[in-house]
Amino acid sequence: MNQIWIIAKLEMRRAFFSRRALWVYLLALFPAVLFFGHGISVQYRRSEYAGKPVTPAAVLDRIPVGTPDTEVLATAGQPITDRKWRRRDLDRRSLQYFDGSNRIWLEFENGALKSRNRRTLNSFDEDSKVYAGVFQFFYLRLAVFFGCLGIFINLFRGEMIDKSLHYWFLAPVRREILLLGKYCAGLIASAVIFGGGALLSFSALLSYQSSADLQGYLQTDAFYHGTWYILSAMLGCVGYGSVFLAAGLLLRNPIIPALVMLLWESINGFLPELLQKLSVLHYLQSICPVAPPLDPNVPPLMRMILAPAAPTSAWAAILGLLAVTALVLYAASRTVRRLEINYGTE
Amino acid sequence: MAVFKRGYERYNGPLTGSATRFLAVPRFVWPKLLGQRFVVILLVLSLFWPLLCAGFVYVSNHADLLPSLGSGGDDGIRKMLSIDGKFFAIFMNVQSTFAILLAAIAGPGLIAPDLANNALPLYFARPLSRWSYIGARMMVLFGILSLVTLVPGLFVFIMQASLASTAWLQANWFLGQGMVLGFLLYIVMVSLIALTCSAYVKWRVVAGALVLAFFFVLAGASQIINQVLRVEWGSLLNPGYAIYAVWCALLGVEAAEDAPGAWESFTVLLLMLAALLAVLLRKLRPVEVVS
Amino acid sequence: MSDDQILFHNVSKFYGDVLGVNKVDLRIPPGITSLVGPNGSGKTTLMNLMTGLVHPGSGSISVRGVSPFAPEKLMRIVGYATQYDAAPRGVTGFGFVLAGLLLHGFPRAEAERRAALAIETVALTHASSRKIAAYSKGMRQRIRLAQAIAHEPEVLVLDEPLNGLDPLVRAETIALFRDYAARGRHVILSSHVLQEVDVFSDQVILIANGMIVAEGEIRNVRDEIHEHPSQFLLHCQQPSRVAALLFEQAEVLAVKIDPEGRGVLVTTRHRDAFAAAVQRIALSGIEIDGVLPMDENVDALYEYLIGGGK
Ligand SMILES: Nc1ncnc2c1ncn2[C@@H]1O[C@H](COP(=O)(O)OP(=O)(O)OP(=O)(O)O)[C@@H](O)[C@H]1O
Ligand SMILES: [Mg+2]
Repeated sequence: MNQIWIIAKLEMRRAFFSRRALWVYLLALFPAVLFFGHGISVQYRRSEYAGKPVTPAAVLDRIPVGTPDTEVLATAGQPITDRKWRRRDLDRRSLQYFDGSNRIWLEFENGALKSRNRRTLNSFDEDSKVYAGVFQFFYLRLAVFFGCLGIFINLFRGEMIDKSLHYWFLAPVRREILLLGKYCAGLIASAVIFGGGALLSFSALLSYQSSADLQGYLQTDAFYHGTWYILSAMLGCVGYGSVFLAAGLLLRNPIIPALVMLLWESINGFLPELLQKLSVLHYLQSICPVAPPLDPNVPPLMRMILAPAAPTSAWAAILGLLAVTALVLYAASRTVRRLEINYGTE
Repeated sequence: MAVFKRGYERYNGPLTGSATRFLAVPRFVWPKLLGQRFVVILLVLSLFWPLLCAGFVYVSNHADLLPSLGSGGDDGIRKMLSIDGKFFAIFMNVQSTFAILLAAIAGPGLIAPDLANNALPLYFARPLSRWSYIGARMMVLFGILSLVTLVPGLFVFIMQASLASTAWLQANWFLGQGMVLGFLLYIVMVSLIALTCSAYVKWRVVAGALVLAFFFVLAGASQIINQVLRVEWGSLLNPGYAIYAVWCALLGVEAAEDAPGAWESFTVLLLMLAALLAVLLRKLRPVEVVS
Repeated sequence: MSDDQILFHNVSKFYGDVLGVNKVDLRIPPGITSLVGPNGSGKTTLMNLMTGLVHPGSGSISVRGVSPFAPEKLMRIVGYATQYDAAPRGVTGFGFVLAGLLLHGFPRAEAERRAALAIETVALTHASSRKIAAYSKGMRQRIRLAQAIAHEPEVLVLDEPLNGLDPLVRAETIALFRDYAARGRHVILSSHVLQEVDVFSDQVILIANGMIVAEGEIRNVRDEIHEHPSQFLLHCQQPSRVAALLFEQAEVLAVKIDPEGRGVLVTTRHRDAFAAAVQRIALSGIEIDGVLPMDENVDALYEYLIGGGK
């Protein structure tokens, strides 16, 4: 036990502070930075619109489609912006109004009202959906995936390439303990980095919401959602970490399984239900508290085939992940016992 | 006995031309790459789509033979079967995926081992400059990527040109030109990315992951920028999108309405290439022999 | 099983098709043992087998009664400085030695004391806070030695430890080996150059093409192969004349003019007949200054055994 900790401490220093770790931090912090940036722009917009002329929504809603633009200008008054351009032989015009909490665009084609767009200055509901999408499609699928790939492949394969693995093998440590120690180091590093990233981005999401929204959310779901987001990021590290550690140990070129896994995880949604359950992502998504909207880029035809497997219940998902991890680690420990130092063939 | 007394003579025979000499480097890599199982599998897989497209070209030129169409033919179906810019844009898009996978497998082995084993001085101790070293490495990728992009693309185009009337060729000459230019730009981009990744991390395995990460993560990042900030310019950060926008412009295809246009994309691509090249040159610099 | 010996029992190791070592039977008592053989003869393989870095294809190994498959026990008594000239990324000399000691389970203060001591032993104290990546070749060699001796192992295994050391450090390092041997420990080292190690080795193991050619004390090694030809150096003024005369003798296998100009090198199977022949030549009036058996000097033995009998 003590030895595991000593090994983990030695390894962690590298995992946290090496120059390569910078890229992992970048991946983990990117969503947080984006949400902070968005928060700033929302706040800027709020203060900007605070002084704009208000046109009651009822006035705008009453204007029927087909009304000429001159008439609209007469009833609704001066717009906040007025944009004109030409496209595909049509004269287009867009007038923007503000009703106190929403921005409303009136779109014209050849001088006649064609459609209406309404957008709130900021909608918490929309933002939390976007967050769910970012979390599942970017954070879990890409950031945690590649981050863990980098951190965990480094543990064994990286040392073989650096020709420094034998120093570990020359320590009076059982190989299994060594494996566990290294896994713990990678796990702590990745869980802290990605759990922290999730925490930061979640608080960034909350930082700019209007106080009414925030109060309501904090009193109901905020704590529960935040916990599960962070937990699923950490569990992602547990699952991907063990797979990549084993891949780095077993295979000369772990990129090919990584590639296969990446493809597998991304086509996973189209597979029959049973196969869906064989992916790390499936369990992680089961744990995520808010279901994201479907990926908007999926073509409609495919959307019909896309039948998400019924999410596994959270505890079953966690247990499943842990069981898979234990199994993979067991296989890895069998390998590491027989592992030889063989730098020549890299 | 002194060396000269043994009749030692400097080699005075013919030398290969200095302009083509750097080809000596890729010449040995190609057979090795083609010997790799995974590369061969990918090459074979990448053939399916061009074959399908070739079949499509054949059908579209013999539409009259199809019984269901009869003599006059339906205008809608005829339009669907026509070989136009859209057809080539889709064709290129599919093939480009294979190019990325190939580059992720073949690219990392090109520079990383040289850096890791300190082999660069061996190259630069010979009359080979840094630029021709990069050129030689790029040649390797150029050759292997052309196999899945340019070659099948030209095959489909020439097939269409020979099956269709001369009028078609005259009207659509720009399609072939656009495809070749588009693919060339793409190959340069992909191979530069692969080489830079290879030089950047010095580890072959990690470099492969980096190439993949480059495309996947940038694509993901550009999408979440669009979604979180509710903007469109995020797409520019996605090299896959940017190159597609340029292709669409080259092939005369109408691009998506509210997305960044071809010129912006092209500028961003050029900037990205310059940045990659700068990183690559910096990684290779310290060992170069000043000539 | 004797608990103070290193035993190899019929050990073979193949790397795929390539032979590493073949059917090795060894019994190494404490003291300084030198493994000598040309490049690729299997010295490193033997050492890696001993320390569990590679596993034998067949046969068994025991190091002072411990199997190499149990690193948690073996590495307590073994210190191994490998030939791999690499160190973990970005560590300082002190950090490197310290990390090894921490893994041995020493408390921090004790580990630091021992690390400083080991580094002092290899005379690197002035550079101990610099990164290993910035060390010279000899310094890297020494820091690896420091790591191997830091926990005072009973079995010290060193792959080419004298490579790249300057004469002063070399003398100190050899003194260190002697000190270890005097305390009843094992020191096992490898070298290509026999002259380098024959002075201080208690025994040598000659190895070629993955096979043990001879083993034991230098004198005994000579006896072990006594049925083989032995070589003598004849000091004389007219080497070519002597060579011509010697060549007529049936018991002489080969005659060579000494490249260093000291006289004639003779290879023979029958020492007594050869001695008689030399006597005859001397009596015939040709001056012979002396006869020197070359294989007492292990170098010749080495040249014979490894050099394919030239
Ligand atoms: N990792 C490996 N893979 C394949 N063959 C190997 C490997 N390591 C060693 N060999 C082969 O095993 C044989 C013995 O090698 P070994 O490294 O033990 O020699 P050595 O005596 O230490 O040589 P040197 O004096 O050059 O260090 C050689 O033929 C070598 O080619
Ligand atoms: Mg060796």
